[in-house]
Amino acid sequence: MTQTQSPKSLALLNSKAPFASCAGKDALDIALVFASFEQPTTLFFQGDGVYQLIQGQNGELISVKDYLKTFSAFEFYDIEEIYVCQASLIERGLSSDFHIDNVQVLNQQEFANKLATHNTILRF
Amino acid sequence: MPFFCSFNSRDIILKKLAVVITTPPYSNLTITALHYIEAALHININIVGVFFYQDGVLNANSKVQIASDEFQTIKRWQALHEQYQLPLHLCITAAEKHGISDENESGSLIHDAFTISGLGELVELSTNAERLVQF
Repeated sequence: MTQTQSPKSLALLNSKAPFASCAGKDALDIALVFASFEQPTTLFFQGDGVYQLIQGQNGELISVKDYLKTFSAFEFYDIEEIYVCQASLIERGLSSDFHIDNVQVLNQQEFANKLATHNTILRF
Repeated sequence: MPFFCSFNSRDIILKKLAVVITTPPYSNLTITALHYIEAALHININIVGVFFYQDGVLNANSKVQIASDEFQTIKRWQALHEQYQLPLHLCITAAEKHGISDENESGSLIHDAFTISGLGELVELSTNAERLVQF
């Protein structure tokens, strides 16, 4: 970094299902790079994005590299805040059965409030 | 031809802006992004850089041809770079995924206006800018 400024918080809003497009993987790459530069990084999952957290998926069954496995490294990268939209889970009939720990389910208002506390939001 | 914006320059407190482009050259969303950037430059907002990611990297491909009666996104990026020295950062990992490399047998497919960068540059842009806008 050429300038020493206080780090800005980044919110990554995931809104797409995991394997039909690269959006989730592209967001993950950003999260890991920002976190390794010691930028406070928070992950949000909303809409079809919630499918990225659901337990028991295996991308390799459809010949897609399973980037979801990398989610288990979040702790190592100090990515500790992971939020999922409760309404999106309910709309899709999904239970809070996630393949990583430390996921917090928030109602729409809490989700929006949390998002608004960040300096930067990128949506994928 | 400048894009005419409706907001007043004295209302603007934003001084430093960074932009992320994720849409391809033939997308109307990219045209919107160009209009946005032109409007910002027009009122002297400092754009610290534009970062090209996902399908946005296709904007750097010097071989893309857009029909002459359509909006020339590719040429607009190049012109903005020449006119304002606007930094255009290309995520090289994404570019290579899209078949755009600086090491092709026939030379580089990447237009000279673009700087080869990585996601570390996006960290830098978001740090230096007061606001980061994604298209």
